[in-house]
Amino acid sequence: MKQKKICLLGGFAVGKTSLVRRLVSGLFSEKYLTTIGVKIDQKMVTIHDHSLLLVLWDLYGDDDYQKVRASYLQGSSGYILVIDGTRPETIDVAIRLHQTARQVVGTVPYVLLLNKHDLAEDWKVDPATLGELSRQACLVAKVSAKTGDGVESAFSALAEAMLNGS
Amino acid sequence: MTASDSFSDSAILQVFDALIFQQSGEGFVCRGELPSWCPPPGARSLTEFHPEVLLTQSFFLQHVIQEAQSWWASDQSGVWKSGLWSEPDVFGEEAVFEAIAVREKDIPYLIIQRFGPDMVPVQPLLQKAREEQLSHRQSLQQHEQREAQLGSQLARSEQERDDVMAVLDRLGLGTILVDATDRITFISRTAQDLLQREASDIIGHSLQTGLPWPKEFSALLHAQEELPDDCRGPASVVLDRKGAPSLSLDIEMRDDPRDPLRKILFLKDVTEVHELRRQLVGQTHFFRLIGKSPAMRAIYEQIQDVAMVDAPVLIQGETGTGKELVARALHEGSPRKDRPFVAVNCAGLTDSLLGSQLFGHKRGAFTGAIQDHEGFFEAADGGTLLLDEIGDMPLPIQTTLLRVLQEGEIIRLGESRPRSVNVRVLAATHQDLQALVQAGRFRSDLLYRIRVARLRLPALRERREDIPLLSMAFLEQGRAAIGKLGIHDIAPTAMQQLLRYPWPGNVRELKAAVEFALIHCRGTNIQPSDLPPEFEESGHPVLSHPSPVAARDERQAIMEALQQVNGRRIQAAKLLGMSRSTFYRRLRELDIPIES
Repeated sequence: MKQKKICLLGGFAVGKTSLVRRLVSGLFSEKYLTTIGVKIDQKMVTIHDHSLLLVLWDLYGDDDYQKVRASYLQGSSGYILVIDGTRPETIDVAIRLHQTARQVVGTVPYVLLLNKHDLAEDWKVDPATLGELSRQACLVAKVSAKTGDGVESAFSALAEAMLNGS
Repeated sequence: MTASDSFSDSAILQVFDALIFQQSGEGFVCRGELPSWCPPPGARSLTEFHPEVLLTQSFFLQHVIQEAQSWWASDQSGVWKSGLWSEPDVFGEEAVFEAIAVREKDIPYLIIQRFGPDMVPVQPLLQKAREEQLSHRQSLQQHEQREAQLGSQLARSEQERDDVMAVLDRLGLGTILVDATDRITFISRTAQDLLQREASDIIGHSLQTGLPWPKEFSALLHAQEELPDDCRGPASVVLDRKGAPSLSLDIEMRDDPRDPLRKILFLKDVTEVHELRRQLVGQTHFFRLIGKSPAMRAIYEQIQDVAMVDAPVLIQGETGTGKELVARALHEGSPRKDRPFVAVNCAGLTDSLLGSQLFGHKRGAFTGAIQDHEGFFEAADGGTLLLDEIGDMPLPIQTTLLRVLQEGEIIRLGESRPRSVNVRVLAATHQDLQALVQAGRFRSDLLYRIRVARLRLPALRERREDIPLLSMAFLEQGRAAIGKLGIHDIAPTAMQQLLRYPWPGNVRELKAAVEFALIHCRGTNIQPSDLPPEFEESGHPVLSHPSPVAARDERQAIMEALQQVNGRRIQAAKLLGMSRSTFYRRLRELDIPIES
């Protein structure tokens, strides 16, 4: 059985852990619990009748307190950049991590997720302003870990892109 | 004791409670005591637990071993740390781990520590720091939203204020806002222009001392501030301005509706109004009316007020007081001044003749109607129609007139098609129309319709102070007309007689008397002897209503006048010093045939 390493990258509290939890266990918690270190999870998906084990590396949020180690990205077949749609400052973090990922793993597929789409009233990020970050992504999607909207399809899109690229 | 034994037996390692691997060939072997967490809770038995399995099944440890191998291969000293990670262990238990690579006497060791949920020291600190950061950001966002809302409200308020100011400026109204401490907080552009001061010179100054008021006016403003809002009236002040005419201002002080301690001052430039009023006070002529008595000044003001209102006006006054002149003044002072002014006398005409004259007729409508005829209403379209002696209007015509006033349409005699007319109707009479209504000779509804505005002209005896002015004006007009330019004054004794005379025929009689005197005067001044014979009895008041004897004399005088001018009535009226309408009325009252 094939397995693929996927890293989730983004600023703190953008919802990386919640997206993984929604995907893996279908659950969501309103309580914010910051991720310490790297959290490893697995998810089996089926793409065009092919089973694929996604090894999900949920990396801690990148900020002034914790910088993501570039070495964690080694061996990734793809990655997910997560932006908090209510916090435009998380775009800059995503851009920086995207550049790091490119240096470490080269041109591998990635998806760009604008999370917290359920908070429509506070929404601040216009996908049209994301420039290169969105043009190079194999998928740009507004998702909600809280409601589950768009989560599974986003992971599936990345899985399919990774399979096609392998 | 080997080096490895010395390392693994180290008491210090026991304290770490860690799982220790030593590189052995291509693989690793577990050394020393197993830590307390090995096997983890849930392991079915110790024999089932092989710590080395961790190294091959953990996704993260696979990464760790790669990193550690690189580090061991390098000459770096000290330790290498993997950083924390969490993943389910071989028994499915979620745990937090950290791997440390060390090299002791060239032998690589990999130490794996396991942390319980509350044993990661950095977790609470980081959690708190990030929660505070999120909280701070949230409150910042709320502040930004509030700021945006307030900014939006401010922009709306400023827009509304600008709109109101634009309206006030357009109306020529200046505004000043004063706070509870009597300091000026705002002054509009119009107010700055009126006061010839810039806002920067005024804002913050006291209302009493910061503006160019006279001291007395400042005191007046101060007194007004103490009054309840509904007790204040406009205060007038005249300001001298550099390089410009004096400015008359009406200033009205109002409480700010939101804070009665704050005041709003409205400044209105009334210089032009005051100037007109001043001119009116000294005015001796108004259009073709002559007089400067208070009674006539009041009439002038009423004419000014009423002229601009497009409503019917009832002009009342004794015969000869100048009702038609007032009607012309109303017309010439109105927006209709460039359109026709038509005066029609309602007395002395039959129903059909008056109806035809007023409303017109179609050819063949009655005997003698040889062609279509436009009535006075149509002739006056867009202008003003004076219905003189309206009290003498026959009742059937009153009915038609009422309908015309209501509908704004006339129907010519003999036609059925209504024609729209736009005519301002003025009515004049010397009679008491209310009495005529009670006597059944005048329609009450028509009366209410035509007396929307009313003017009552004073009799000449009620404004005797105007007699010298009127006499001299008539002298000036008459001497040119008669060709006696040498006459330029009226002797005081003659003037005394004019002043004492009761003037039943009012101004018209005065004019006729002056013309009579001009004809008879042989010097440069009119003398008492030049005046008509009735002035010989000027010490005895003349009855305003002719007695039967006087009526007989008047009848005789009219008959003689008609005879003198070969029956030409207008000339006869002129000869007698009567208006045409009065002449016709007297013909009827004295039972003199009109065709005579």
